[in-house]
Amino acid sequence: MTDSDFPDDAAPARAAGAVRALIVDDEPLLRTHLAHHLAQLWPELEIAGEARNGREAVDLAVRLRPDVVFMDVHMPGMNGVEAARLMGPEVQIVFVTAYEQYAVAAFEQGAIDYLVKPFDAERLAESVARLRRRIAERRRMSASEAGLGQVTSLAADTPEAAAALGRLPPGDLDAVLSALAGELRRRAPVGDRLQWIRASVGQMIKLIPVDEVLYFRSDEKYTLVVWVGGEALIRKSIRELLDGLEPETFIQIHRSTIVNLRFVAQVIKGPNETAEVHLKGRSETLSVSRNHVHWFRQY
Amino acid sequence: MAGRGGARYRPDMSSFLPATPPGLEAEESPRSRWGRFLRALTPRMIGLTLASSLVVAIVMSPIFDLPFTVLLGRTLFVGFVTLLARSAAVASSQRLVPPWVLQSVSVLSGAILATLAVYLLATGGDFGALVKHEARIQGFILISGTGTIVGLMLALGALERQRDSEAKAMGLQLALERSRLERHAADARLAVLTAQVEPHFLFNTLANVQALVETGSPRAPAVLRSLIAYLKATMPRLDDGDARLGREMTLVRSYLELMHLRMPDRLRFTVEGDPALQGFPCPPMLLLTLVENAVRHGIDPSETGGSIAVGTARVGDVVRLSVRDDGVGMGESAVPGTGLANLRERLAAFYGGTARLELTEVVPHGLLAEILIDVPATRTTSAAS
Repeated sequence: MTDSDFPDDAAPARAAGAVRALIVDDEPLLRTHLAHHLAQLWPELEIAGEARNGREAVDLAVRLRPDVVFMDVHMPGMNGVEAARLMGPEVQIVFVTAYEQYAVAAFEQGAIDYLVKPFDAERLAESVARLRRRIAERRRMSASEAGLGQVTSLAADTPEAAAALGRLPPGDLDAVLSALAGELRRRAPVGDRLQWIRASVGQMIKLIPVDEVLYFRSDEKYTLVVWVGGEALIRKSIRELLDGLEPETFIQIHRSTIVNLRFVAQVIKGPNETAEVHLKGRSETLSVSRNHVHWFRQY
Repeated sequence: MAGRGGARYRPDMSSFLPATPPGLEAEESPRSRWGRFLRALTPRMIGLTLASSLVVAIVMSPIFDLPFTVLLGRTLFVGFVTLLARSAAVASSQRLVPPWVLQSVSVLSGAILATLAVYLLATGGDFGALVKHEARIQGFILISGTGTIVGLMLALGALERQRDSEAKAMGLQLALERSRLERHAADARLAVLTAQVEPHFLFNTLANVQALVETGSPRAPAVLRSLIAYLKATMPRLDDGDARLGREMTLVRSYLELMHLRMPDRLRFTVEGDPALQGFPCPPMLLLTLVENAVRHGIDPSETGGSIAVGTARVGDVVRLSVRDDGVGMGESAVPGTGLANLRERLAAFYGGTARLELTEVVPHGLLAEILIDVPATRTTSAAS
């Protein structure tokens, strides 16, 4: 047995006394509803606090040291899975989610307790029964260890004990939650490529989808962005733009020019290893300099 | 859409396929010029050259004091040299003079030089003997002149046909483009028909309804009404018969009421429509897409939430539908959901290019999404009636 990463000073104190719970959900009606059902199914349970997002939940968990947390998965800011990972293995987590297939699959895989909204009373009763068993077991174990005077980790941190409690060993559990947290983040709509160009038009800042941009051309100070709906000056340099734009679609054809290939009608060879780019539906042409004509040559 | 200049037009579907390189003329190898030269020698052109050489030989045989086979040999030679000269002109990639000028010049010089070669051959290379012999000069003029005229007719005829076929190709291209747009519009419609109600939204809302019902809340009936209105409006339907702004505003209000029920502390909203625009045509779910985006990407990610203002107004010849939120706003790397791309397709399909979507940042944070539709006065009155 190794020393735990989570020294549990409060465990002996918790060995006695009421079981304490946190309810975490960004939707107030659902918090009230769950509290109402828990009061009927588990009258001895003390609802120590309610939180509206992952950040508040972690704060409350540190202060109130609950035995069990009913945790909504989808919340603003820090989501439920990330919050759960910060709470450590001594807290029993019951995830609550509404039709999130990937989340449910992860919970199944990690033998993690979960409820699917809207839940029925019977399903909640099963969860409550399981929780009561586990918390009783946990308290008995830590009480006996405390009785032996050992400075030790929680019983459930050993793989055998965890298996006995029907859960994955903490390391594996964390891996499952980490994968799920990653999945939730991926579903958040932020990528690493530039998707919008912020451009001042009059007093306003327009967001121009990069798909609609025909080309960028810079002079010393500003960069001109020309899109299907007009043109504007921006402060981003050609270099910054190149770093952010999809390299398959946006190519540099000149020291000061980037063109969107989707709007290229044809490229006509000019003298001296240069070329001219003609754009769809536009009269102006863009010059391809000697140094960049190679891009067209590779095909 | 189309390339510049018919002769240089090149069908380009690359814009529809991700990252396909465009038609490249910058790099022209001698090989492709050779290929164009060979392609210009169509069986049709060879056949026409053979036939016209034969006809010219037959017609001219009474004039010439020569065996028919020798005359035919001469006309054939002149005919084919002229054909080769014209093919070389076709293969040229120069852009200084129009193709018809270049081809005419090449036909003319081909016919003259070939005839000259024939006569020099007949006189054993003696140019003096050729110019002194009057009959030979007449023969020279006759053959080179006929060669030039026939050659020009054939060459310019072929050029005309080529223009025709290019025009047809361009027409075909436009038809393709149109059918592509129609297909996309159909796809967008289908997407609207199938993926209406997100299960996550529906079940979360139902969980709230359940909570209200089980606690006997007096708010339950009103919430159920909103949910029913929302579900009715978003159910797949095949006819857009009632595709009016008034209905869309009702749908948006139902949706926002449901979301307000779920996040009463985080969402505030106003929906204010110009009553005169109630009957204005509007594809289903147009505003809803923008409002859902505002909730999902503006308000929901924020711990403190914010407000959403939906409005419609007519300013001059423009109808303006707007959804403004003061939520977290959109980063430059925020991946546009399929919703916005889909919305653009629907706009194009429904209003046929007179509508556009504009996104503007709200200070200090948030997003204003506007749909601007150009409406000539006649259309608005007919729509309102």
